Amino acid sequence: MKNSVKILCVLLVVSALLMGCASNGAEDGKKTVTIWSYGSDNVKTTFEKLANAFNKSEHGKKYQMKVEFISSGSNAQSLLDRTIAAKKAGKKNTDYDLIEVSDAELAAYQSEGGDDFFQKLDTSKMPNAKNVKAKLSTGQDILMPYRGTTVVLAYDSAKVSNPPKTADELYQWIKDHKGKFAYNSPSTGGAGGSFVTTSVYNQLPEEALVSSDEKWSKEWTPGFKLLKALHPYFYQSGGKTVYPNKNQGTLDLLANQQIEMTPAWVDQVVNEINSGILPKSIKMVQMDPAFTGNLASLAIPKIGGNKDGAYAVMDFMISKEAQTILLDEMGAFPVIDSSDIKSDNTKMISKFDVSTFRTSSIGVLGQELLKKWDEEIATLK
Amino acid sequence: MSTDIQKKAIPYLLILPSFALIALFVVYPILNSVIRSFRHPDTGTFTLANYLYFFTDPIQLSNIGYTVFVTVTTVLLTLLFAYPFSIYLRFSNSRLSRWIYGLNLLPRFVPGLVAVYAVMLVINDAGVINRIGRIFGLNIQMGLLHNAKSIIIMNLWFNIPFATLIITAALFGLKASVIESARDIGASKLTIFTKIILPLSYKDALIAVTFVFMSNIGSFTTPYLVGGNAPKMLGIALFDQFNSYMAYERAAALSFIMFLICSISSFIYIYVNLKESKWEQR
Repeated sequence: MKNSVKILCVLLVVSALLMGCASNGAEDGKKTVTIWSYGSDNVKTTFEKLANAFNKSEHGKKYQMKVEFISSGSNAQSLLDRTIAAKKAGKKNTDYDLIEVSDAELAAYQSEGGDDFFQKLDTSKMPNAKNVKAKLSTGQDILMPYRGTTVVLAYDSAKVSNPPKTADELYQWIKDHKGKFAYNSPSTGGAGGSFVTTSVYNQLPEEALVSSDEKWSKEWTPGFKLLKALHPYFYQSGGKTVYPNKNQGTLDLLANQQIEMTPAWVDQVVNEINSGILPKSIKMVQMDPAFTGNLASLAIPKIGGNKDGAYAVMDFMISKEAQTILLDEMGAFPVIDSSDIKSDNTKMISKFDVSTFRTSSIGVLGQELLKKWDEEIATLK
Repeated sequence: MSTDIQKKAIPYLLILPSFALIALFVVYPILNSVIRSFRHPDTGTFTLANYLYFFTDPIQLSNIGYTVFVTVTTVLLTLLFAYPFSIYLRFSNSRLSRWIYGLNLLPRFVPGLVAVYAVMLVINDAGVINRIGRIFGLNIQMGLLHNAKSIIIMNLWFNIPFATLIITAALFGLKASVIESARDIGASKLTIFTKIILPLSYKDALIAVTFVFMSNIGSFTTPYLVGGNAPKMLGIALFDQFNSYMAYERAAALSFIMFLICSISSFIYIYVNLKESKWEQR
């Protein structure tokens, strides 16, 4: 008999281990609003700060904001996969109340999840919506932009006194200063991606940049010719042109003065100057035509269970309070008028205007562009 | 309840959780991706095209060749350094060798990412070596980063201590009395090595080699941070397939190809483990 007691114990322990524990309910009768986002760690900590601020605000008396975060590396794609899977499984009243969707992803959501995947936004439920200055190129009635960032040219002002102002001047500068410019391999980070995209699309009509029509991929040749012609003039190591991996790869080269210029994300440069990774001599300038930027947006899936709460959080995200937190913590561009936002970072970004952001939305062509780059540029000797 | 049944059931119950975990998280995903690798991305019908792509596309072929080259070089260099090093650690009684033995454990406690960045800091073209050189008016740019050299250097950093650990452990199992008695009857150092030390330790050296081989075929962090743009190690090529091009079927095929390459070395591992030396059979 003793043995069966032992077996019972083993079974109990095993089942306790396997079950785990997952249950969460709203506190004190407040309705929980779950917001889903993804990205690197600084985004996560910013969202946690935003949730704290929301829960202390007027809205916080009615709703409890909860952040679900998918860290990059675990592949942000999965937020799309998860929500689509939930919809396909016929689920309703899920906790996907509010999710982060970039304008580039919108097409993927709609082709997989149907055109009615998202709630059409009712701006009367968001008093702050009238202050939003940023304009999206697609999905204006579905997406609410809440922060922006763009790729700019970061340069070392100690070495370069007169930075190029147009794309053509930049290409000429690269040729005149062999080995002093680098961009990261485009599939590993958006800064290099933007350099490649704009180098190719600057040769095309502007409408091409917001089209996923296959016909434009046949017009890429002049852009790729340009990239090939510039190839020998980029940063070299061991006698070979090198495209470092990740956005940080080229910023590291800039920091230790191996190069003098590189395309980089504004928010990343601001954060790294503030934390001392980049020297104070690093300055930023935008080209004409500009590098592409990104507006991060929120959207309300129809399968979400708390629409009113989602509106409350969305409204909070475009309030002055939340926009200040985003600028302070991440160097993110406010989507509202930045002149009355007080932050130490305002000075660094004040010369860039969020309402004139150039955004690209080329859909599946983006993957083809990366592949073509890997096949034709990366393999150059 | 008869105690007989209990006795038989208990072992199965005990292995059930780990068996279930392996079935769920190892066997099922592997089967899943094998099936997917034979599917056409659009129509879902059976096709070999995903595999053919990797064996016909010149870029992918050079990726495979490059990966095998880097891995085999790593394995050979690791063995070349680790084996004599282990013999030194085993047979030297100096204080220095005790110290080195302790230090040899240290890399195991350094997170991989930290190690890669640390080495990059030293060998990059504006790194520590370059800066020290500049004090003496030299501009040393070794051009080690972003090519196979840096991947191999990094791999050696990780693998020499690891292989040394395994081989040294085997050598410590070798009784000193055996060697002493050989010496007593007048065996030369070379004879002792070829007749005693080598036969008794080559198995463990081979096991170390298979481990090094397997862990480097699919490595990602090192080649991602210090490797060049082309050709690429297969780990990076795989990442491109599913992350940049979203070609999941090809990614599945490539993972299976990597699995096959690895199984060559696991075959050696199992073979060596099962094979008994002549004098052990009795």
